[in-house]
Amino acid sequence: MTQQSSRLLLVAVTLVVGLVTARHFLVPKTFGQRGHYRAAAVDAIEKLPIRYAGREACAMCHAEIVATHSKARHQSVACEVCHGPAAAHTESPGEIKPPAPRTRGYCPLCHGYDPTRPTGFPQIDPVSHNPVKACISCHNPHAPEPPHVPEECGACHGQIARSKAVSRHAQLACVQCHITPEKHKVTPRLVHPEKPRTREFCGTCHAQDARSSTEILRIDMQSHNSRYLCWQCHYPHQPEGD
Amino acid sequence: MDPLQEVLRQVTGYIYPNEVELHWGLLVVVYPYLTGLVAGAFILASLVRIFDVKEVQPTYRLALLTALAYLIVAPLALLAHLGHPLRSFEIFLTPNFHSAMAMFGFVYAWYLMVVLLLEIWLDYRKDMVLWAQKETGLRRWVHRLLTLGANDISPNALRFDRRASRFITLIGIPSAFLLHGYVGFIFGSVKANPWWSSVLIPVVFLFSAIVSGIALMLLIYFLSTLLRAKPVDMPCMDKLASFLFYALVVDFSLEMLDFIHRLYEAEESIHILSQLVFSRLFLSLIILQAFLGTVVPLVLLGSVSPALRRKGILALPEELRRLLYAGAAILIQIGIFSTRWNVVIGGQLFSKSLRGLTVYKMQLMGLEGLFTSAFLLLLPILLLLLLIYILPPWPESEQHVEAPAGD
Repeated sequence: MTQQSSRLLLVAVTLVVGLVTARHFLVPKTFGQRGHYRAAAVDAIEKLPIRYAGREACAMCHAEIVATHSKARHQSVACEVCHGPAAAHTESPGEIKPPAPRTRGYCPLCHGYDPTRPTGFPQIDPVSHNPVKACISCHNPHAPEPPHVPEECGACHGQIARSKAVSRHAQLACVQCHITPEKHKVTPRLVHPEKPRTREFCGTCHAQDARSSTEILRIDMQSHNSRYLCWQCHYPHQPEGD
Repeated sequence: MDPLQEVLRQVTGYIYPNEVELHWGLLVVVYPYLTGLVAGAFILASLVRIFDVKEVQPTYRLALLTALAYLIVAPLALLAHLGHPLRSFEIFLTPNFHSAMAMFGFVYAWYLMVVLLLEIWLDYRKDMVLWAQKETGLRRWVHRLLTLGANDISPNALRFDRRASRFITLIGIPSAFLLHGYVGFIFGSVKANPWWSSVLIPVVFLFSAIVSGIALMLLIYFLSTLLRAKPVDMPCMDKLASFLFYALVVDFSLEMLDFIHRLYEAEESIHILSQLVFSRLFLSLIILQAFLGTVVPLVLLGSVSPALRRKGILALPEELRRLLYAGAAILIQIGIFSTRWNVVIGGQLFSKSLRGLTVYKMQLMGLEGLFTSAFLLLLPILLLLLLIYILPPWPESEQHVEAPAGD
């Protein structure tokens, strides 16, 4: 055998011995007994404390709520999905109370707008949908109502609605300026409301000869920047003061 | 803004929720790119050893060291992507023979230990022994250590080295094919993904690997001679350019074959794939991969190199010719990187519902970010400089055994 072969053989033997030794010390003893994993892990997992109680356990005390819930649209959402693991609560109901999500952060996990969610699944934009209000102040999570079209524009355009509510235009209904097709409420991103397209529209209240209350600010429609639409300079949801 | 929301705004059509964000990012693009360079550089080296192409001899050792430098860095991209690099040894300790991905560990180990290291060791052993005799200090000890104590440089021992090295190269060619064919196999065997699932993918990967490896060696050889202020061996450059041209022709033909095959089959995925190609991948596939990375280099190399006519279709002076070769090699690198990008990222941009497209938002910082990938692309160059320092591949560093007196 040449010197090179013997040296290479030595390296190879060292590597193989190293691998066998490493396997001996590093591979868990029960590895491979039941499959490509450490069999003892199953026993270790078995010994972990049980944290979830299950819906049946909830029904024993909260029969009324469970009865409502089991017929409602949230019937496939188990109690502990929202209330968290409740095994400890079933053992000492008085001392350990499961939490209930009362903030706005929780419901949008499922109901926040996401184009990948199926069409028809109730979704809202958490930023603009009735800001500040807690979800449960309008919706009953145990028996949520089927989705319906928004009753007010403010349900989606909350920021604009709040600005308008404290402005001089507070008394004007949104549809007075925006012609809104009914379909906008159902498919808001496909069908858009219109904006006033002429100066004369604002002029019906603000022109010198308008038949409106004398308290309303007047403007000479001929001389006042006649090349622009009014809302290009004035923000109509919160027009500037006197 | 929440990155997910930002991506959601750019989603078109319908896609499943778990497809919005890509699971394989830039690091998984870098990985096949690097392994491709390894396989390509090695196959170039084997041209000298097995096919006795004398002209490219000056690149032989450089190609071996380049392959080693890139091979060491290639799995780092995967380790960084998986996020638990310290657990990687587990695949060697408890190998899962049913997992094609786990098998990579073995293909890689085989290629590193049995092919590359052994071939480099056998090729450099004589020089290391002679260097260690002349040198002092740390270099002497490093070279001594690297010989593993095998310091026999008798004619018989050297003959053994040559024969063994030739044999290793012979095993090395199928191994290099296996290394990169395997990477293509991983993608080609994902039958749920119509962009990947094709038996041609491993072969296309292999030839693109050869193209990228030869182009890289052409660049490294050219730059190394410039930096060392040595004359460029023009027959070597011409031969490299010719081989690059041939490999590019085969690679391009295979890709076209794959393309035509898909078009003719026109499976139900064809509409979304054509949308993908003409929207999300227009720049990286049509412009970078096909036009700048393939057609332009093909025209450049075909007209300038001696691949089609002995003096080239356009007889240009040497200085201009090698600059054009280098330019073509850079374009090819950009093209091959785009190929990897189009395969890895492109395959995840469309929905399995075949009804929508998402976008890839590249991170800048973090393990999956641009900086990590840039570092991993730079690291082999630094490693190569270190290897060159320890094992100079230049002809003038090569040692010759003096014939015994009176022989």
